[in-house]
Amino acid sequence: MSTIAETASRDQIRRRQRVDGWRWAGRLFLVFMLLYTALPMVWMLSTSIKSGFAAMQFSPQLWPDQPTLASYQKLLDPQNSVGQDFLRFFWNSLIVSTATTILSVIVAVPAAYAFSRFTFPGRNFLFFAVLLRNMFPAVIFLVPLFILMRAIGLVNTHGSLVLTYLTFGLPLAIWLLKGFYDNIPVQLEQAARIDGATRFQAFMLIVMPLSTPGIIATAIYSFIGAWNEYIYAYTFLSKNEQLTLPVGIQRFFSENTTDFPGLMAASFMMSVPVVVLFLLLQRYFVRALTEGAVKH
Amino acid sequence: MAHVVLKDLVKTYGGFKAVNEVSLTVNDGEFVALVGPSGCGKTTTLNLVAGLTSVTSGDIVIGDRVVNDLDPKDRDIAMVFQNYALYPQKSVYMNLAFPLQMRKLPRDEIDRKVREAARVLDMTQLLERKPRELSGGQQQRVALGRALVRDPAVFLMDEPLSNLDAKLRVQMRSEIKRFHQDLKATIIYVTHDQLEAVTMADRMAVMNGGYLQQYDSPAQVFAHPVNMFVASFVGSPAMSLIPLEASTANGDAVLTSAEGWSLALSEANARKIQGATTRKIVLGARHSTIKLHKSAVAGAIPAKAYTVEPTGDVTFVQAFLSGAIVNISVSPKIAVAPDEQIWLEFDQERMHLFDGETEMALRAN
Repeated sequence: MSTIAETASRDQIRRRQRVDGWRWAGRLFLVFMLLYTALPMVWMLSTSIKSGFAAMQFSPQLWPDQPTLASYQKLLDPQNSVGQDFLRFFWNSLIVSTATTILSVIVAVPAAYAFSRFTFPGRNFLFFAVLLRNMFPAVIFLVPLFILMRAIGLVNTHGSLVLTYLTFGLPLAIWLLKGFYDNIPVQLEQAARIDGATRFQAFMLIVMPLSTPGIIATAIYSFIGAWNEYIYAYTFLSKNEQLTLPVGIQRFFSENTTDFPGLMAASFMMSVPVVVLFLLLQRYFVRALTEGAVKH
Repeated sequence: MAHVVLKDLVKTYGGFKAVNEVSLTVNDGEFVALVGPSGCGKTTTLNLVAGLTSVTSGDIVIGDRVVNDLDPKDRDIAMVFQNYALYPQKSVYMNLAFPLQMRKLPRDEIDRKVREAARVLDMTQLLERKPRELSGGQQQRVALGRALVRDPAVFLMDEPLSNLDAKLRVQMRSEIKRFHQDLKATIIYVTHDQLEAVTMADRMAVMNGGYLQQYDSPAQVFAHPVNMFVASFVGSPAMSLIPLEASTANGDAVLTSAEGWSLALSEANARKIQGATTRKIVLGARHSTIKLHKSAVAGAIPAKAYTVEPTGDVTFVQAFLSGAIVNISVSPKIAVAPDEQIWLEFDQERMHLFDGETEMALRAN
């Protein structure tokens, strides 16, 4: 008897050791990934607070002897021409991304709900068609969309970008949200309708609150997509005062090749909204997964 | 409270007929169970009454109104769902209050009714909890409370006990029955569990393949099933159905088996099989109507015990006759061993005879 127990416990120990081995390998991998993603950010931040001279110094310092916020002051100073440009680009990006986000939620919520709840002729075809757009690299549509935008007179407007970003963002938004609605039991709406709600009330009072995490996650996703987009903004816009941040910074780069701290400060500030939103996104994804908004 | 009438109700999905000309009347204050195997159309029928699915043809009358084209909210019904469908983001209190808020009742009246319902269902201390913080039984009770808080004309219940564990199910079964007796409520109750239907309902509507098979009191359905489907569906263990052939021996009607034995029929039973469209006759017998003998008896059929299942109160013996499984219940005092030779005696008074072609019960004319 005792030998059986001993073998069993030895087995257990061996199993635990093997699991621990994997766990450590996983941790090591995560640390590596963390350094891989975080180090460029750290480098960007550290360069942005260096003086122009310190930035070119060899060997480079990880942390400057005399940190300075001069680059940030320059970028955020509306009196200065660099500052004017930067703030305008920032504002343009904000407008384009916000408009894209709002429109994408307004369209994606009812569309996803319809795909999830209703059967109608061509439903599967349409759903596939929605995804079809995302199966091609974005560049493929660059020239056709440019010709289209020129034909309808939208070149050099922010509208052209919003429309284009919707074609990227919407399919995924619809897809994500449909998953959310699929997970909300239809009986909840049926119960609400029997309890005295109209179909629309059932949607607004019962389904919408339950899908808030999904809606917020999709909204943030759309926002980040629009915020970071470069190639379409570069193609569709040519007037300086309309440029969005990614294009603006690129231009900045070619005009001020030597001002590395300024460049890094601009890049850092551009990444701030994305990082903040990503933190929020993560929070909502976790909330959506753990809170069990919908329990079967 | 109100009565409900279904008239030639049909629901088709594409070419598939989910509900096929179902007609039945649920009297005011009656507890009716729609029962049948999954896919038989019982839940679709309930959804038609609720207005969650549109009617293809036929009429639904609740009270004195034809409600075919009314929204669910205007039908004055309440429904309890299998998964309870409690609003997860709302507290128990708000779940109970929701149907009243939708009807724009004054706040103090809502409060009074919610607290009253909570008191009746013994869950006053749960009012502030969220549904996910409740046990299955408590969630079930909240779902029931949300239905009764509104005092609707008809209660619709869609397998409300299926998600509970066996012990709780039996307990809630009697609670719902009590609830019906106290409220004199009109209830349409869907279940796949014939035992729930038999124990709770005033009348049961047995459905199969979208068709209503039989609509009668559980006792009648049990004693006089109209066809082989109902016979085998209602009762546990199921009625044994043995395929035989009608013939005569010395001028008397007998049923003969392909195995060589034959069973003499009583005069009444002989008259029944004259109405058959074929010589193929199926003999139906419930476990309690078959007598098991351990030695040869005149009129008893020889068989071999296949399995023996003691349950404490009774022991179920299974045997093969003419290729069919036959269930026999015996007193636990009678010891039967597997593969033991036994003799089975059928009760002529309580045996069922079915037409082998139409599968309909044969009745004396």
